[in-house]
Amino acid sequence: MTTSSFRDVEQLSAYLDGQLSGAEKARLEARLKSDPALAALLDDLRQAQALLRRAPHRRAPHNFTLTPKMAGIRPPVPRVVPALSWASAVAMLLFVCTFSYGLIGQLGISAAPRLAASEHYGIGGGPAMAATMAPAATQAPIFPAAATQQPLGTQSADTAVQQLTNGTELPTATPEVSTMKAFVETPTLETRAVQSPGVALRPRSELVHPWPYLWLGLAVVLVLAALIVRWSSRRSFLRKHKSG
Amino acid sequence: MDEPTLIRDAQRGDLEAFNRLVLAYQDQVYNTALRILNDEDLAADAAQEAFLSAFRALNSYRGGSFRAWLLRTVTNACYDELRRKRRRPTTPLEPETEDGEEVESPRWLADPNLSPEQRLDQEELEHAIQHCLENLPTEFRAVVVLADIQGLDYSEVSIAVKKPLGTIKSRLARARLRLRECLQSFRELLPSAFRLEEESSL
Repeated sequence: MTTSSFRDVEQLSAYLDGQLSGAEKARLEARLKSDPALAALLDDLRQAQALLRRAPHRRAPHNFTLTPKMAGIRPPVPRVVPALSWASAVAMLLFVCTFSYGLIGQLGISAAPRLAASEHYGIGGGPAMAATMAPAATQAPIFPAAATQQPLGTQSADTAVQQLTNGTELPTATPEVSTMKAFVETPTLETRAVQSPGVALRPRSELVHPWPYLWLGLAVVLVLAALIVRWSSRRSFLRKHKSG
Repeated sequence: MDEPTLIRDAQRGDLEAFNRLVLAYQDQVYNTALRILNDEDLAADAAQEAFLSAFRALNSYRGGSFRAWLLRTVTNACYDELRRKRRRPTTPLEPETEDGEEVESPRWLADPNLSPEQRLDQEELEHAIQHCLENLPTEFRAVVVLADIQGLDYSEVSIAVKKPLGTIKSRLARARLRLRECLQSFRELLPSAFRLEEESSL
């Protein structure tokens, strides 16, 4: 050993493992025949290697297999019903539609009478307007004293003076003006029905569409179906990995 | 199913395929950890950690010896454990005699299927080897465990410890030289089978 260098030890170690080339191996074998110290070192190294190879081989104390939880694997989304992967998006859309409809409905209540009025009374000069105005023109005057009088512009100054001296008030408005005032005030369904008997008005309950309820129901069904499929697939996934 | 198919399936996330690979290699991985760490519990922890790391990094495996690739993960786990141990040294949980002295060859390591004589030989041998391995620097220990105990060739050891072949050759020679000197001090305690081999080789 004293005459052997570390280079020799490296050569001997590689020789034991069959890692030397043909020429290196031949050269080393020639040296081994002529150098007993080198041959003894080779024997020592061989013994050490043989001893290590005989080291008891232990069995693993338990299985090191991984569980889905350890591996951080989540159950796969079921591919049997691919449409359900969009269930949450569709459900959300339906919910938004439902509530948007409801919101618009709420806002529309205040605007509805005017819209209904324009529809039913024909603001802007339609036949309905004429029909409404006609009875107003022929109805009994609000101010009986002025009912038979001539139009204000044609009244003579004498008549006016006479009326003042008799204590009779001058009319402040014509019957047409009074009718217009009454029209501008927001009419209720009942007054509208009375004012325009020829137009049939539907009750408010009939104006509400059933669609929002359908959308809401469909959204709930979709969400429930997605949850059930996901739960059952997770259960079968866990059962499979537990048994495996 | 053959190994490449199992590896391919495991790379696609098939845990069942990976677990079949675990069952095929777990003894080898555990033994490697046990020889490097010389502690059963730490070795089991390192083996489990190695398989977990291997599963997570499976897509980085690009072919070649899967065994070498897997043993690299356990070698790394052992290096981490040894570093941790160095930072926070603990008292080994080894059995002691009634006088409080450490038992030379712990019987709790014994294989129950062996005869008492064989068991004694095994224990003596294991103790001698483990003692000598522990006196080696960590990087030498890993190389000699992989090459001489696990039977990996130079290229596989090179993959497992991420060092070039020249380094493996050099470390292995140094490790064997040191082990030879250490094991000579156990000559009287070595198993009779080894002594016979020794005599026949002379």
